Amino acid sequence: MPFVKDILNYRSLAIVGLDKNTGKTVCLNYLLRRLNQLKATTGVTSIGVDGEQTDAVFATAKPEITLYEGMMFNTSELHYRKRQLLSEILAVDEQRTSLGQLVTAKALTCGKVLLSGAATTERLKKQIQLFHSMGVSLAIVDGALSRLSLASPTVTEAMILATGAAVSPNIKNLIARTKYTCRLIGLPEVSRELKQQLNTIESGLWAIDDNGLAHDLNIASVFLIGEHTESLFRYGTTLFVSGAVSDRLLRILASQPNAGRIRLIARDFTKLFVSPEAFADYTRTGATIEVIQQSRLVAVCLNPTSPKGYRLNSEEACKALSDALELPVYDVMRPDSVKIP
Amino acid sequence: MILKEKIKTDAGLQYVVDHLEIMSSVGRRTLLSRPWLTNPSDLETEYDNIAAAVEVTKDETKRHAYNDLRHRLMELHDLSGTFNNLASHTVLDEVELFETKSFTHVVNQARRAAAELGLDDILQLPDLGEPFALLDPDHTGIANFYIYDSYDERLTPIRHELRSQQSLLASLSQNDENYTPTAQRISDLLAAQNELQNAICRDLSDKLFAHHDKLVTAMEQMGYADILLAEAELTINWNLCRPTIGESSEFAMLVNPRLRERNEKAGLRYQPIDVAFSDGVTLITGANMAGKTVLLKSIATAQAMAQFGMYVPTSKAVITIVDDIYCSIGDEQDEMNGLSSFASEIIKISRAIELTTQSRLLVLIDEPARTTNPIEGKAIVQSLISIMESRPSPTMITTHYSQLGSNCNRLRVRGFVESMVNVPINPQNINRFIDYSLIPDQSDEVPQEALRIASILGCNTDLVELASRCVCQNEGLD
Repeated sequence: MPFVKDILNYRSLAIVGLDKNTGKTVCLNYLLRRLNQLKATTGVTSIGVDGEQTDAVFATAKPEITLYEGMMFNTSELHYRKRQLLSEILAVDEQRTSLGQLVTAKALTCGKVLLSGAATTERLKKQIQLFHSMGVSLAIVDGALSRLSLASPTVTEAMILATGAAVSPNIKNLIARTKYTCRLIGLPEVSRELKQQLNTIESGLWAIDDNGLAHDLNIASVFLIGEHTESLFRYGTTLFVSGAVSDRLLRILASQPNAGRIRLIARDFTKLFVSPEAFADYTRTGATIEVIQQSRLVAVCLNPTSPKGYRLNSEEACKALSDALELPVYDVMRPDSVKIP
Repeated sequence: MILKEKIKTDAGLQYVVDHLEIMSSVGRRTLLSRPWLTNPSDLETEYDNIAAAVEVTKDETKRHAYNDLRHRLMELHDLSGTFNNLASHTVLDEVELFETKSFTHVVNQARRAAAELGLDDILQLPDLGEPFALLDPDHTGIANFYIYDSYDERLTPIRHELRSQQSLLASLSQNDENYTPTAQRISDLLAAQNELQNAICRDLSDKLFAHHDKLVTAMEQMGYADILLAEAELTINWNLCRPTIGESSEFAMLVNPRLRERNEKAGLRYQPIDVAFSDGVTLITGANMAGKTVLLKSIATAQAMAQFGMYVPTSKAVITIVDDIYCSIGDEQDEMNGLSSFASEIIKISRAIELTTQSRLLVLIDEPARTTNPIEGKAIVQSLISIMESRPSPTMITTHYSQLGSNCNRLRVRGFVESMVNVPINPQNINRFIDYSLIPDQSDEVPQEALRIASILGCNTDLVELASRCVCQNEGLD
């Protein structure tokens, strides 16, 4: 993948899978091998529990992550004990997770590890900072797109999206779903001032007035929004949802007479649990969505095989995706098939 | 009694604890388990230690060492679980050994900083050079840890081969015929390595056991250092004062930190109070809104701070040592919920009477018997005063009853001062025209300002006028 060198321009990178079995781990392993060749000081962690030895859903073999000498990693005590390499412990986080304390260590030999890591965005940010303070130039987060994960991978500067036949064996479907996620990832970020203000808000539905000040609308849950539509716009049409954005919310907003002027702000794209249809209906009115935290999508990786045995034609699929997304797309099984120009 | 228990019933004390900038979980734990001190020499030691810490905190030439010590406290982890394992001869694993090494490293650095600050005598941090050396066979001097080759010479060849096999495996594809044998060899080597490592962990745990007591002491003393520095900071920031221990109590310019902050936020003035009391009863009278309840709460918080070994929010303080504070203050959370306000109050009062036969308490009772008929209510207060007068426990009682016929010490809140009024009064600014200071009061009458205050608060005029007429009639009858 020719973009590996470009990735070194970023201080942090997340790899997220559109679905299970989209080749996220294969992609990460490839990246680590290349980063080792480039002698980049790398630190790796994961969100919540990841890196199980076998995939919990389909029981297909899930390769562990191979680290190289000098790389740093952060994982739970439980997985640290199962590591297959020699490593030196550099730090232990006092806070406990369900898998014990989080251990940050440096690989003294190459070998395999299972990754688990911070379960909240705050701790993930701290871990990335810790890596940087230890001299890491690129911190990599093995991310997850899941309702179950509280930590958001968008705290990283750059992002790679893994997609593949597991998402849909039908190439048109696959392109549509991947394109839609890319669109969400690419939603514009709010201004720095607004970002600082909204970052301190932990819950609820807020309105931002013309002077850029946030006001709590005191609606306990966005699910109750239908009962409060008359007071929803008392501070203007810019709204901030601190939690999940649902189809229902978008549909209610889209049905308002002033829908075209609505500017909805979400925390980041992982908080948008919205179907492509509801998203389309909403944006068709002229209403917009922005995010507080955006991560730059640098590439898309494709796994042409699905755990059910489907196999896409790699070259065709990559080309079709790349044309549709206007982004480089790589086959994770043959990552170097695209020649470096 | 420990601090953790006391803050449950004293919101003012909770506020103080919340403002202590404790760095470590060990410090927080040590703070909350602090005992209520009654021995004068224990208290004096605590006050001396704070004095020393305050001096060090203020000394600009020692800033570097001071910051260093605080930084070490931030790095401190609570290893009580690990040390318990050590005590019970459970073998420590690599993560626990790292934590132990890191701990000894932190303590040794904190010890150096403490010596530079001249706090070594107070903090008494033990020298953990030996346990650190056990965990640092290569003399790296840093806290990082793994099972070093130098622990067992058999590790070197295993790891040497492991390194080359790992590199080989990383370069092989899974379909390569050498892949499986290489992976198998690695797994064998890892097993051999783990066996040696486990033996080393056992051996290190045995050797560390000899240092167990020292490690535990170090953790306790680090916790104490954390509290002491936080107390010194608070003492400076809040301008706290060292209490003198005496026979009776005297607070000059007593402040309630929680209320002061609330007032400052609301742009209201805050008036510190001078108050003195001794064994026997001190009766406090004053109009409504004159701050009698707040006064009792402020005294309770200051007394508690002093007896938990802290400086107090006054400009001068003499404290008399008591075994506990016993409060019956109306609006506090009542565990006896379900009882009427009179019932729960009278049970509390009766308990205070019983408890003071065995221990010396600071008894604070806010407007006793105010929720029952005034004839019996007054009788209850009169009897309470007469019983508590003879007890060797300082007792403060606020009341609106007059003619109680007692010779006890009496103080009156000066209250609403007409001459201070220069703008129209309303419920929001009334606080500006109340003088909260206490004056000795010889008379057996209480101020009758309820109707005036009711009228200022914008109370229904019919009610106020009618009530004023009733007062005149009643006085005429008397």
